Amino acid sequence: MAGGARAQRESGEAGGIALRDVWLDRGDAPLFRGLDLTLGERRIGLVGANGSGKSSLLRLINGLIVPARGEITVAGLDARAHRRDLPGRVGFVFQNVDHQILFPTVREEVAFGLAEQGLPRAEARAGAERLLAAHGCAGWGERAVEELSEGQKQLVCILAAIAPGPPILAMDEPLASLDLATRLSLLARLRALPQQILMASHDLDLLADFDRIVWLEAGAVAGDGPPREVLPRYRAHEMARAATAAGVLP
Amino acid sequence: MMSSYLPGHSPLHRLPAGAKLLALAGLSLLLLPADSALLLAGALLAVLLAYAALGRRALARLALLRPLGPVLLLMVLLQAWAGDWSRAAVGAGFAVALRILLMVLLADLVTLSTPMQDMMDALERVLRPFERFGVAPRKLALAVALVVRFVPVLLSAWRAREEAWRARSTRRPALALVPGFLAQTLRLADHVADALDARGFGRPADRPSPSDKRTMP
Repeated sequence: MAGGARAQRESGEAGGIALRDVWLDRGDAPLFRGLDLTLGERRIGLVGANGSGKSSLLRLINGLIVPARGEITVAGLDARAHRRDLPGRVGFVFQNVDHQILFPTVREEVAFGLAEQGLPRAEARAGAERLLAAHGCAGWGERAVEELSEGQKQLVCILAAIAPGPPILAMDEPLASLDLATRLSLLARLRALPQQILMASHDLDLLADFDRIVWLEAGAVAGDGPPREVLPRYRAHEMARAATAAGVLP
Repeated sequence: MMSSYLPGHSPLHRLPAGAKLLALAGLSLLLLPADSALLLAGALLAVLLAYAALGRRALARLALLRPLGPVLLLMVLLQAWAGDWSRAAVGAGFAVALRILLMVLLADLVTLSTPMQDMMDALERVLRPFERFGVAPRKLALAVALVVRFVPVLLSAWRAREEAWRARSTRRPALALVPGFLAQTLRLADHVADALDARGFGRPADRPSPSDKRTMP
């Protein structure tokens, strides 16, 4: 798979993510107050209520936002000093495909990241075609993204994100608006990728076989460990929260 | 309105993007002084034949022109009214409407047969001489691509709002839908800016990004 070789090479030389004493405000309120996290596992699930900081954590790792204080190291790079290089190391997939597909055709979308890395247009296009073919999407290059199904669009987003060969893939509820069969089939594809995956999700079943779950609560780590330990506790906590809200939305 | 690329291998598809854009500019200039309704109708027929040659899916796009109908009709009526409904004035009105229709169709022939990347490349080449005046050709070319990509997205967002209205009202969708739609569009712009930033487009190494305003201490 194109990009995979580089991903493996890079994650081998300096993989992983480390946050040290990270402070971040959201609006006027503090969100992270001295967050410490070392994320080295292959597949890590992020759970937590809306507003708990999952998206902010993913954004910090891609360099979309920078912390007010603290240090973040991503694939061996300091996130503040190498902000410009982070998109090449961390592919980002959002929930809503219409918020992230930037081009009218599939090939342009997948080739964009390669061209941004300085590859000549022709090579970027060829690279996109190779990646599409390697994922069973040969012949998709010419297709208009408007004609694709929602699942196909999200697959294009994932391929566009891994095209530059980042060692890490950050995903903010990438499967939330898809039907169950499409979710499972995309999840199987994600499992086969060489990238380290960091995925926020409200669908706990999808995270059951991940290597580690980090549960965020109001910007702090409320649970951290293998899914069989963290997920039942998180589920119970959320059920209790729904019950105590007594008719009012939590 | 009509803005998507139609994959294919027709002779029109194989022409270089720059040549097509030049031809479009040239033909549009030639059309401006043309006022014979007969000549314009002939040109329209030729353009429609070109659509037919491109196949059924190209022809189906013509249905998307329907919203243009009332506007063109209004132009004919205005011209005729201004000329006291004389034969010449009515003829002039038809010429104006035909000219606009032709330009829209010709422009659509270029968009439907040219991949966006090729269009961007051609545009970048044209804009390069202006770089010294502070114009960023790459950014402008990307802006054009984004317009083409998001016209269908915004259209479907508008239709969704209309549907939501109709689901609860028998009255025609009103101007009341507009502010919400604008707010949604601005939010979408924010998200798209984030997606561009996430992929490293024009990310500065030393300057905070626009989204940092939320996170500054």
